[in-house]
Amino acid sequence: MKSKYSEIKNIFIDSVDSNNYVDLESLSFNYQVLEESLDKPLKMILLFGRPGTGKSMTLNKLYVNHKDKREIHYFDAPILSEKEFLKSIYEAMSSQHIPQNMRVNFDGLLKYCQNLKGQREVIFLLDECQLYSEALMEKIRLLSDTRVVKFVITLHKTENEDVIAKEHFKTRIWEVIELKNADEEELEVYIQKKLVQRGFVEVSNALSSRDIKFIHNCTKGNFRETNKLLYTIFNIYEYYDLHRPEKITSNKNSKKILEMAAIKIGYIHD
Amino acid sequence: MINTKELEKRWYKYKAKNFILIFALILIFILLPYGIYYLYDYFDTPSPKQEVSKLITPQEVVVESSTPMVTEATTAEPEVEESKDNEVILAPTIPIVDLDKEQRTTQAKKVVHRKQAEEKKLVKAKPSSSLTAQELAVINGNDLKREKQKISFQRSSSNYMDVMKTKFEQNKNPREALLLAKAYYKAGDYINAEEWALKANSLDKNMDESWFVFAKAKSQTWKT
Repeated sequence: MKSKYSEIKNIFIDSVDSNNYVDLESLSFNYQVLEESLDKPLKMILLFGRPGTGKSMTLNKLYVNHKDKREIHYFDAPILSEKEFLKSIYEAMSSQHIPQNMRVNFDGLLKYCQNLKGQREVIFLLDECQLYSEALMEKIRLLSDTRVVKFVITLHKTENEDVIAKEHFKTRIWEVIELKNADEEELEVYIQKKLVQRGFVEVSNALSSRDIKFIHNCTKGNFRETNKLLYTIFNIYEYYDLHRPEKITSNKNSKKILEMAAIKIGYIHD
Repeated sequence: MINTKELEKRWYKYKAKNFILIFALILIFILLPYGIYYLYDYFDTPSPKQEVSKLITPQEVVVESSTPMVTEATTAEPEVEESKDNEVILAPTIPIVDLDKEQRTTQAKKVVHRKQAEEKKLVKAKPSSSLTAQELAVINGNDLKREKQKISFQRSSSNYMDVMKTKFEQNKNPREALLLAKAYYKAGDYINAEEWALKANSLDKNMDESWFVFAKAKSQTWKT
């Protein structure tokens, strides 16, 4: 016996898949700015925001939408070793495989890029750039100076890094796009779209504005946190649906279950 | 799958905590006005202890003493003898003062003070070179003759007349005219007194006092 809630809860599993991308007003605006900046003669584009604001998802969507039109490469996981990073860049650009016992010389790579000036424009999408070392970031900048390689990087913004991030990139002529948490209205659209996309209109309608307010209060509009909470909510629903179906109704969300999920994650304390 | 039973327990605990919190808040809101009222009432009205302490004044505490001063006072006033035992008599909490009793006690005090003053006068000082002649005279009861100074008070009646006249000219008040008439009469200027009394009467016919001053001044002018 399988509950419908097991399928619903899986919608909210956190994944960087462009198919799960929900087109929200603020996100689509930022995406548009990002797309436009790809056509500008900018060397580097910075996408920054707090964890769970949709940076990786936006980057992934950009890659999926442009991979057939442009020469674009997506590094979803950070390559921390400088040797491996340069090797990956060269391999992506030259479509050659470098043997394990060989390395790419940075000056050689720089010269290789300079030779391609005016002929090609390669875009690299680098996620989680806060993990790259300062030296490697400097090399990325030098590579982008050739105007053959363009980088779109994402950076986490935490409380302390906020000022640092702004100061660090202010001196450089980069396009900076900041992604923010969703407000209550946007969060409602996000949840409803996610459910409706998979055909759970009834479940979407059962969510009242009071429920959305509660979810927003808990997650502060963070998409990742919202996914986590909704996954837990529907996980509890699944249990009740299978073991005590009399406890739930399909047309109204139970406040008790919402609060139980919030207790489980730690948003509210018992 | 989630351990829902455990989660439910935690949820009940959370709800109970919330309920207690809300209940406590409601209780505070209900009791707060009463509390404020009680405190206001408590601090506003003085407590019986405070009243007693206020009423225990040295005059009202009568203690039987063996000193001759008090015995003399008590013999003079037989009612004071009533409090012969060494008990402290407190005034009643109801603030009613027995005026007769109070008068008697003050009289007794006065007798004591007079006696003390007499005793003081009887003390004779040893002849001392350090005392001045004036001080010695005080001790011996022979006051030195002092020059009597006269203090003379001067009053400028003419200034008063002028002020009153200007005042009258400003407001034409019959009272001012009457006052001037009286002032002139007192000063012995009966003609002016007559004149101002007539002025006052012409302004207010019902002012009987103006007729009275006029008649008095007229009789004085006939005499002279």
